[in-house]
Amino acid sequence: MSVPDYMQCAEDHQTLLVVVQAVGIVSEENFFRIYKRICSVSQLSVRDSQRALFIRYRHHYPPENNEWGDFQTHRKVVGLITITDCFSPKDWPQTFEKFHVQKEIYGSTLYDSRLFVFGLQGDVAEQPRPDVAFYPNYDDCDSVEKRIEDFIESLFIVLESKRLDRATDKSGDKIPLLCVPFEKKDFVGLDTDSRHYKKRCQGRMRKHVGDLCLQAGMLQDALVHYHMSVELLRSVNDFLWLGAALEGLCSASVIYHYPGGTGGKTGARRLPGNSLPSEAANRHRPGALTTNGINPDTSTEIGRAKNCLSPEDIIDKYKEAISYYSKYKNAGVIELEACVKAVRVLAIQKRGMEASEFLQNAVYINLRQLSEEEKIQRYSILSELYELIGFHRKSAFFKRVAAMQCVAPSIAEPGWRACYKLLLETLPGYSLSLDPKDFNKGTHRGWAAVQMRLLHELVYASRRMGNPALSVRHLSFLLQTMLDFLSDQEKKDVTQSLENYTAKCPGTMEPITLPDGLTLPPVPFTKLPIVRCVKLLSLPTSLRPQKVKSLLGQSMSTKSPFIYSPIIAHNRGEERNKKIDFQWVQGDVCEVQLMVYNPMPFELRVENMGLLTSGVEFESLPAALSLPAESGLYPVTLVGVPQTTGMITVNGYHTTVFGVFSDCLLDNLPGLKTSGSTVEVIPALPRLQISTSLPRSAHSLQPSAGDEIATNVSVQLFNGETQQLAITLENIGLEPLEQLEVTSKLLTTKEKLYGDFLSWKLEETLAQFPLQPGKVATFTINIKAKLDFSCQENLLQDLSDDGISVSGFPLSSPFRQVVRPRVESRPTNPSEGSKTGDLGHVKTLEAILNFKYSGGPGHVEGYYRNLSLGLHVEVEPSVFFTRVSTLPATSTRQCHLLLDVFNSTEHELTVCARNNSELVLHASECQRMAIQVDKFNFESVPESPGEKGHFANLKQLEEERQEARGLEISSKLDIRWRIPSLKRSGEASVEGLLNQLILEHLQLAPLQWDVLVDGQPCDCEVAAACQVGDPVRLEVRLTNRSPRSVGPFALTVVPFQDHQNGVHNYDLHDVISFVGSSTFYLDTVQPSGQSACLGALLFLYTGDFFLNIRFHEDCKSKELPPSWFCLPSVHVRALEAQA
Amino acid sequence: MAVCIAVIAKENYPLYIRSTPTENELKFHYMVHTSLDVVDEKISAMGKALVDQRELYLGLLYPTEDYKVYGYVTNSKVKFVMVVDSSNTALRDNEIRSMFRKLHNSYTDVMCNPFYNPGDRIQSRAFDTMVTSMMVQVC
Repeated sequence: MSVPDYMQCAEDHQTLLVVVQAVGIVSEENFFRIYKRICSVSQLSVRDSQRALFIRYRHHYPPENNEWGDFQTHRKVVGLITITDCFSPKDWPQTFEKFHVQKEIYGSTLYDSRLFVFGLQGDVAEQPRPDVAFYPNYDDCDSVEKRIEDFIESLFIVLESKRLDRATDKSGDKIPLLCVPFEKKDFVGLDTDSRHYKKRCQGRMRKHVGDLCLQAGMLQDALVHYHMSVELLRSVNDFLWLGAALEGLCSASVIYHYPGGTGGKTGARRLPGNSLPSEAANRHRPGALTTNGINPDTSTEIGRAKNCLSPEDIIDKYKEAISYYSKYKNAGVIELEACVKAVRVLAIQKRGMEASEFLQNAVYINLRQLSEEEKIQRYSILSELYELIGFHRKSAFFKRVAAMQCVAPSIAEPGWRACYKLLLETLPGYSLSLDPKDFNKGTHRGWAAVQMRLLHELVYASRRMGNPALSVRHLSFLLQTMLDFLSDQEKKDVTQSLENYTAKCPGTMEPITLPDGLTLPPVPFTKLPIVRCVKLLSLPTSLRPQKVKSLLGQSMSTKSPFIYSPIIAHNRGEERNKKIDFQWVQGDVCEVQLMVYNPMPFELRVENMGLLTSGVEFESLPAALSLPAESGLYPVTLVGVPQTTGMITVNGYHTTVFGVFSDCLLDNLPGLKTSGSTVEVIPALPRLQISTSLPRSAHSLQPSAGDEIATNVSVQLFNGETQQLAITLENIGLEPLEQLEVTSKLLTTKEKLYGDFLSWKLEETLAQFPLQPGKVATFTINIKAKLDFSCQENLLQDLSDDGISVSGFPLSSPFRQVVRPRVESRPTNPSEGSKTGDLGHVKTLEAILNFKYSGGPGHVEGYYRNLSLGLHVEVEPSVFFTRVSTLPATSTRQCHLLLDVFNSTEHELTVCARNNSELVLHASECQRMAIQVDKFNFESVPESPGEKGHFANLKQLEEERQEARGLEISSKLDIRWRIPSLKRSGEASVEGLLNQLILEHLQLAPLQWDVLVDGQPCDCEVAAACQVGDPVRLEVRLTNRSPRSVGPFALTVVPFQDHQNGVHNYDLHDVISFVGSSTFYLDTVQPSGQSACLGALLFLYTGDFFLNIRFHEDCKSKELPPSWFCLPSVHVRALEAQA
Repeated sequence: MAVCIAVIAKENYPLYIRSTPTENELKFHYMVHTSLDVVDEKISAMGKALVDQRELYLGLLYPTEDYKVYGYVTNSKVKFVMVVDSSNTALRDNEIRSMFRKLHNSYTDVMCNPFYNPGDRIQSRAFDTMVTSMMVQVC
C-alpha cells in the first residue's frame, strides 16, 4: 500500500470499485470515449428493493492496493471491464487469451468481468457469450450503458451472497482471520483456539460484514456491525482494525448526515428509494438467485438513535482512528487518506480550525520512497484542501512548495511550465495581482518580502520556460510595484537583469495571453521617472496666435441679455480646469513641460520620451533624458507638432526605460498636478523672421504690457541725427505671408521729442505680397532723434552783453549797431566745458515696433500673429543753444537771431544755417551765431475750426500754437550741424528754445508802419536827400493786418542831430521849421485797412538830421504790445540848394 | 525567547516584522503570513461563540517541528504574532501572555504618538528596544 488516493472522500466506502482497462492496442481517444460512457453509470437502484448501489471507476489501480481489500472492502477491485480492438477472426483467440491474462491480475477479488470487442463481425461475433460484447465500431455501440447496468446487477448479486454468507452467525464453524498484507507473518504459530484469538476473528469479521453492508446499501446494518466490531476489537487491543472500524463508523454516519456528499463532485447523488418499482422489475433476468429471496433493507428504523454518530462525534472518532493508524508505519497511506476524508467532512461542517489541525498532521505523515510526481501531487492536494477550508495563505504556501518541487534538483527534466502555472495560481494567496492598476491606490497593502520572492520565482520560471517576454513582464511588474521596498543594491540588480533581458526581447505595452487563457496586462513604468507636474506651455509670444476682433464675435458675446449668470460661470469654471485658454498652431512645434523625479540611486536614462495625444494627428518628437541620481524635481520639455486642427488632449506620455516601453496615462498617475490637458489647435499660420541692419542689443526692453520682445536692436545717435534701419522680412514657415501691419509705440520717457521718431513706407513692401515660403522682403524705417537743444544751467556762458539785444532792454542807437561786428568769436575755457559735457548727458529713447502678420489657413479663420522688435536709441548731445536772443535789424521786417552754440561732442563740428556761413566749433567750444531772418507772419498758419473744439482750455491751445510757430521758425532757419571726421550730420532745432518774448519779436507785427520822405520809403541804411529852402513832404502810413481795429494814434516828430559822441542836440528851432503842425493824427484803422497822414518840413541850414517819431501815450496804446510800434528811423541829409 | 515578532494591521498587512537571525527572514515572513489563516479562523470562531471579548490571547496557532507560533489580537483587530523556538521548553503559556501584553502596551504608546499615521510602518526607537529585549537569547 504505497500509493495514496488523495481524491477519496467518506462516501467512497459505500462504492464498488470497478477497473476499466484497455487490452491490446487501443487509442486513448477511443478508450476514454468508452470510459466516459461507462463512468456515467455511477449509481443504480437495485430491482425489487429500496437500496442503491454506487460504483467507483478507475482506469488505473495498483494491485498492491487491491491486497488491502479485506481490510477495507472499498479498496477491493470487484469488477473488471476490458476494451479491445479486434478486426480479424483469426486474432480473436489471441484477444480472448489476453482478456484472461488481465483477469488474473485481480482474480482473487473479482466478482465478475466483461470484455468489449470493437470491430469484429461475422460468425464469431454472433455467438452469445455472457462476458463478451461485440460492437462493429466505436460509433455504433448504443447499448454500452445497458450492458454496464446488467454487469453491475451481477456484481450486486455476488455481493449480496457474500454479505449473507458472512453475516450468518455460525457458532459452530471456525471464523477465518482476516489480515492485512503485513500482518500475515505475525500470526504464524499462534494458538488459534484461544478466547483472545476467537474474539479477534469475530471483531475483524464483523468489521468486514459492516463494509459489505455499507456497499450493499444497508446503512443501519452497517452501523450495527461497526459498533459490535469496535467493542470486540477494543477488548483485544487490535488497534489497526479498531481504527478501521471507527473509520467505517464515521463513513456510515457521514453518509447518513450529508446525503449530498463531501467530495464536492458534480452531479447530485440520488437518494435511495427514488427509483420506481416498475423500473426495477424490468431488470429481472432469468437465472438470478431467486432461491435466496432478495429482501429490502429492513433495518432502517432499528437503532437509529443509538448507532449513528453525531457530527461532533464523527470528528472525534476520526481523530481516534487516525491515532490508531499512526501506530503502524505500514499504514501511513491509510492514515493519510483518513486525514483527507476528515478534512473534507470538516469543510462541510465549516470547522476550518480543526481541519487545519488534521492537515498539519498530514504534512508530517512519512511515506516511503515517494516519487517526484507523487510529491508534487501531494503538495497540490494539500493546497486544494487548505483552499477548501478557507485558508488561502496556507493554500498559496503549499502550492508554491509544489511548484518548487516541480523543478527540484533531483528531477532530470524540470517541469518549468508546470512550476510557472502553479506559481501563477499562488498569487491571490499572497495578495498579489499582476495588474499594476491594483497597486495604484497610493499605499502598498501586502507582504512585500514574500511578494518580491514570488515575483523573482516567476521571472526565473518564465525564463527557464523559454518565454523572455514573460520574464520582462514580471520583472517590470516587480520594479514598478515593489520600488519602495527594494534596497539600493536590489534596485541595481533588478534593473541590470531587466536590461539584460530586454536586450533580446524588449518590453511592450501589449497584453500577454497565456495558453490557459490568463492575460497579463501591460506594466507602464509610471515611477521611472515619477512625474509630479504636467503643464502645457503656450507658444512663444512671437508665435502666439491671436483672434481678429469681428462684428460677429461681438454680436455673439452680447447674445444673452444677462451679463452674469451663475450657471454660465460654473460652466466656465469647469471648462477652465480642462481646456486651456491659449491655442496651438497646426504645423508649429508645441511644448509640454513635465517635472520629473528620479527615485533610483543611480543615473536614470529615459529614452523615447514623447507625448500621447488624442483628438488631432500629433507628431511627437521623442526626447532622451539622463536624470541624475535621486534628483529633485527636474524639468523636462516634450515637443511635438500637431498635424491637423481641432481640440487636442494630452493623455500621457511614453518612455523606454531599461528597454521597456511604457505608455503612461495621466489619469493613472497619483499625486499628479496638471493645469489642464486640452488645447485648441488652430489652422496653420505663416512664420516671420525679422533681421535688421543694426547690431543686436544687450538691452532688453521691459514693456508694461507684458509682451515679449523677439529682437532688440540698439543704435547710437547724436541729437538731431537721422539713421535708417533696414528691416529684412523672411517667411520661414510653410504658409504664404499675406498680410502685414506695422505699428510703433514709444515707451514713456521724460524727454520731449520733436518730430516723428520713427517713420516708414510700407507700400513698396506690400506690393511684393503674398510672400511665399522662403522669400524675403525688405523695407526701411527712419529713426530721427530730435530732442531738446536747450542748455543746462551750468553751461550758461556770459558772453559780453552788448546791451542792445532784446532781453528786456530798450533799443539802442543805430550807430552802435553799425559799429558792432555781426559775428563775435570768443572761446571759453576748454577744460571747464569738457567737464560739464561728461556729466551723463546721454539720453535714452526706447520704442517697440509691432509686426502684425497673417496668412494661410489661419488667416482665413481670422487669426494673426504678432512679432515685436525692440529699439534702443542712445542720444548723445551734439550742440546746445545756451542762449537765444534777438537784435533788431535795419529793416523793420527783419531782425537778427543771436544763438550761442556750444559743441558738446569730442569732435570738431560745423554749424550752418540757411543763407549763412559755416561756424566752426572745436570740442567743448561755444560761439555766438547771428542769423538774419525775415520776420514771420504767423497769422498765415491755418487753423482748422474743428481743431479748436478739441482743446479743453485756452492754455493748451496756446501751447499748441507756440509749438506750431516754433516748428515753422525752425524749418525756415534750417540749422544743420556736421562732424567732418565722422562724416555724420544732423539738424538742430530751436523748438522749445523760443520764449514768448522772443516769439513776439520774431513775429511780423500786425501794424505795418512806413515812413516816406518825398515819396521815397526811408531806411536806416540810406539817408534821404533834400535841399535847403524847399519844403520836404513827410508821410507816415499805417497798414492794419491784425484781426481787429486799432487807433486812433497821435505821433510827434522830433528832429535832432547826433554828434556821434553821445550827445544829441534837440535845440533846432532856428534850423528846422514845420510847415503846419509837428503832430500827426491817425484815425481808427479797420482790419486790413490803411491810413496815412501828411506833413512837411523846411530845412534852413545844411547838415545831417534825424527824425524821432514818438507816440503819445494814451489808454488804447497800452493794450497793444510794444513790439507793434516799431517805426523805422529816418535819416535826412540837407544839401545846398542849386543856384 | 522569541525569534520573530510581527505586528499585523487590521487589513492583514505587516506594520512591523522583525526576526533573528536575519538570514532566515524570508522563512519567518512565510510563517507569519500563513499563520494569519489560523488567526482569522480563531477570530471568527470567537465571534461566533460569543466568548468573552476581553480574551485577546489566541494561544498556539500551529506547531511545526522547529517552531511554535502564537497569536494575539487587540480590540481594534491588530494582530501580534510571535514565533518561538520549539526547543525552548522553558517558555510557558503565562510567559507568552505577558510578552504579548508588554507588546500591546508598547504598541499603544506608538499609537499615542501624534506624529504617527495609523497604517504606516512602525518606526519607533522605544518599540524597537522593547522588541529587542524580547528577542535576546537567554541560555
